[in-house]
Amino acid sequence: MSDERFRDSKLADSHLHESKDRDSQAGDPQERDSQFSDSPFYDSFDEVAPGGTFLDSKEVVLNMGPQHPSTHGVLQVVLKLDGERVNGLECIVGYLHRGIEKIAENRTWAQFGPFVDRLDYTAAVSNSLGYCLGVEKLLAAEVPKRGQYLRVILTELCRLASHQVWLGTHVLDIGAVTPLFYAFRDREMILNVFEKYCGARLTTHAFRIGGCRWDAYPDMAREVLHICDDLGPKIDEYRDLITGNRIWLQRTKGVGYISPEDCIAYAITGPVLRGSGISWDVRKAQPYSSYEDFDFDIPLGKNGDTFDRYLVRLEEMRQSIRIIRQAVEGLPEGPVIAKLPKVLKPPAGEVYHSIEAPKGELGYFMVSDGSQQPYRVRVRPPSFINLQALEKMAVGSLVADVVAIIGTLDIVLGEVDR
Amino acid sequence: MTVGEMLRRFFLVDLLKGMWVTFRHQNPADLVTEQYPLQRPEISDRFRGQPRLMKDENGKVLCTACGACALACPEKLIKVGSVRDPETKKKVLTEFDFDLGRCMFCGLCEEACPSDAIMLSPDYELALYTREGMELQRPQLENGIERKVYEK
Amino acid sequence: MIDYIVGYLHSGVTPGEAGNLFWETIYVLLVFLGISIGVIFMNWFERKVMAHMQVRIGPMRVGPHGLLQPIADALKLIIKEDLMPSGADKIVFWFAPVCVVMTAFCGFIVVPFGRTHAITDMNIGVLFMLGVSSLGVLGVIMAGWASNSQYPLMGSLRSGAQMVSYEVAMCMSVVSAVMMTSLVTGTGTMSMIGIVQAQEQQHMWFAFSFFPVGLTALGVFAIAMVAETNRAPFDLPEAESELVAGFLTEYSGFRWSLFFLAEYAGMMAVSAIAATLWLGGWLRPFPHLLGGAAWDTAFSLVPGLGFLLLGALCLFYTARMPKLRSMRGNLIGLAAFGAFLALLGAFMLLPAVRIRVQDIFWFTIKVGFFMYLYIWYRTTFPRYRFDQLMKIGWKFLLPISIGVVVLTAVIGVRQELLALVFSSWGGGR
Repeated sequence: MSDERFRDSKLADSHLHESKDRDSQAGDPQERDSQFSDSPFYDSFDEVAPGGTFLDSKEVVLNMGPQHPSTHGVLQVVLKLDGERVNGLECIVGYLHRGIEKIAENRTWAQFGPFVDRLDYTAAVSNSLGYCLGVEKLLAAEVPKRGQYLRVILTELCRLASHQVWLGTHVLDIGAVTPLFYAFRDREMILNVFEKYCGARLTTHAFRIGGCRWDAYPDMAREVLHICDDLGPKIDEYRDLITGNRIWLQRTKGVGYISPEDCIAYAITGPVLRGSGISWDVRKAQPYSSYEDFDFDIPLGKNGDTFDRYLVRLEEMRQSIRIIRQAVEGLPEGPVIAKLPKVLKPPAGEVYHSIEAPKGELGYFMVSDGSQQPYRVRVRPPSFINLQALEKMAVGSLVADVVAIIGTLDIVLGEVDR
Repeated sequence: MTVGEMLRRFFLVDLLKGMWVTFRHQNPADLVTEQYPLQRPEISDRFRGQPRLMKDENGKVLCTACGACALACPEKLIKVGSVRDPETKKKVLTEFDFDLGRCMFCGLCEEACPSDAIMLSPDYELALYTREGMELQRPQLENGIERKVYEK
Repeated sequence: MIDYIVGYLHSGVTPGEAGNLFWETIYVLLVFLGISIGVIFMNWFERKVMAHMQVRIGPMRVGPHGLLQPIADALKLIIKEDLMPSGADKIVFWFAPVCVVMTAFCGFIVVPFGRTHAITDMNIGVLFMLGVSSLGVLGVIMAGWASNSQYPLMGSLRSGAQMVSYEVAMCMSVVSAVMMTSLVTGTGTMSMIGIVQAQEQQHMWFAFSFFPVGLTALGVFAIAMVAETNRAPFDLPEAESELVAGFLTEYSGFRWSLFFLAEYAGMMAVSAIAATLWLGGWLRPFPHLLGGAAWDTAFSLVPGLGFLLLGALCLFYTARMPKLRSMRGNLIGLAAFGAFLALLGAFMLLPAVRIRVQDIFWFTIKVGFFMYLYIWYRTTFPRYRFDQLMKIGWKFLLPISIGVVVLTAVIGVRQELLALVFSSWGGGR
């Protein structure tokens, strides 16, 4: 049975023909194969089975390309499918690389502050907090207590906002279209507070090195407490609408399992780690910015599947509300920013400081050479490191689950690519 | 499974509860859409919008052409031109170029200015049809950009 | 000639039964017009209702409160470029949307809007409707095949498999309803008009007879019809955020709008079956419990009052609109629409019109109720994965529907014994 007959078939695997052309153009086959280790780009059907035809090829390479409604940004996921089952998966990142770490080498320490917001753009305040704390560690500067409490309030509000985005988009990928709008309606309240505090809703540039630029605006305490009161019942609404829903349970229970040992092996942090049962939260383990003054719990999951991670994040939202209430009620008087020289020249040295961002452990490794500009700023992006788990979780599951798993990892491409 | 749970599963109680949540939200008091441009949003005082050069009560520009804002800007998009006044030996502002297309609205120029001359106003309607229009000169920064006001 | 035309009006049967070609044509045109208006209205209604459930307002710009939005959408689709994939099978590609639309519309031949308000009344009416909607599956598969692309083909096969699986459960529950038509007369009927007349005779909508068996049959049918029409929560084959984009991918412009038309027409057709079989078709609520001339008149005022209310609502919204020069067109348009609806309502209050319009109105309300349920489901529920979907169809709905059939048969035969039990429950005959 010669394969010539099937080359012109209308239904023939056109991608196989494409690959044939690409073969002749791509040059070194070794170079091509290294990207896809057991690539199904066969040179002839005989490789599939002796005397084989296109009907014998079992694996299909499907490209969930950079432009896709469900990949939360420009993420390219190449899937090797056998029917509906995922046999292999490869992520190709870099479509949003903007060279932020390189930019840092040409700006002063204070000028780099606005750039840091653009990493995880759903939670800009967190990024700002991590950066400022790292530089303050280099400078050995002490932020006044009121500044620290203000920072905690804004960071926890930012955690709430980020989890709202996650909730809305994750549920939307699985098919329920309404919670997205409810989540964004709740997020509006938080963004209004940000706007009144620092003047911007998304790229907030909220903190400065040494503390906060502005003190709380006149009605801030009242508005923040109003948000806390409002959000509690709304999180309960999600329980009625989503958590108990049998369709949701069927779509998320048992999907995207990762064991605790694998989590530690991959250096996964954040709600993904806590969903698998390991109790590690940087706010409790290595407290920063007065988190040790507050009383809150760390929610843990039991099975490391999508449903547990969902419950962990919902509970984290409730704990954030708890922290905010305590911070607002206990807000001390005093200055909000430390006295630092206008021209910052940290002594030469290196520092690594990490915080618990909504997505995981966000770390900044900064090297100073004594001048006004950093020598190197390296960001430990939680989304990038959590993305390693995608292959582990998705291989063996169905195609429709890949979308759910990408959603449950809560990645933001701004952070993955920087 | 208890009898109650079986009945709840059979009669789709969890689905009905979800349906009640969405039904309840149809209350007109809950709708949150603002119909722009008929309803404009409330902007806070600290909003970082279009940069403006401020003048004092007599109409004299506050800017002393010190160049602190140009030094503070992360994107180096401010160009301050000045001449030195021979009598007072102080700098007088001649030109002020601001490339709005590259601006991040971070507010560092506003913070750096010692005389509160440059401020980011709460003006957010900045869309233009040409890229050249984004390079603001001194008159536009003092008086604001000419805009058509849309009603519909 | 005039006698031919006028002669039909005094018969008490549908044009098909009377063999009157002229009135059949008129009715066909009216039904076609009605479905088209229904689809247009559903487009607007779905967007508005979904928006309100999602705490936002829907389209507001194109025409007052978005009323001209469907027309703008239709215009846009018509003037779009008509693409055909390069290797596509041209004839099949052209025919697939035609097939789907034809089968969706053909089902409406037997749908009764009233005792005489149907195009014809076949004595196998229900079977005809189910059969014709099954032919729609062919169109779906043809669409996937003709696209010459792997993923639409896979999507169309999945969609076809889903539709076929849920048809079995649908047909089983239809069987149980048809069985109930034989309770009083001793002979059952599959004609749609006959089923409604049987409900009238038994003084009970089939949804409430043999409580809760009738309701379960309706429930099974309600779930199966959602899966049959590929709507949420069973819309994986045509979902936007899934990988396999579904059989509609390669269709753009007018061809796509034909599929969309067929989807809404299919939804209306299965809602019509549900309304006829279980909710009493064109009968008004409580025809015997609240019987008598006074109640009849009261209920017959409802259509007119309903339209008057809608007209008043439009005028109320006109008063609330901002009085800007740029919104003059919207103001005048909405006021005119409100006036038109109010006039229509006043017209429907005239006695001569009241009697004739009643049946159509109640039938439309019941179909509209099911359409609202469709929109409500779409807003609330996430999507089922395909294997879970098939599992529900075969392992959950089919056994329940077979059980309902068996129970209906047993109870029907033994109804004399159980009449005692039922009379103590108050559900009596």
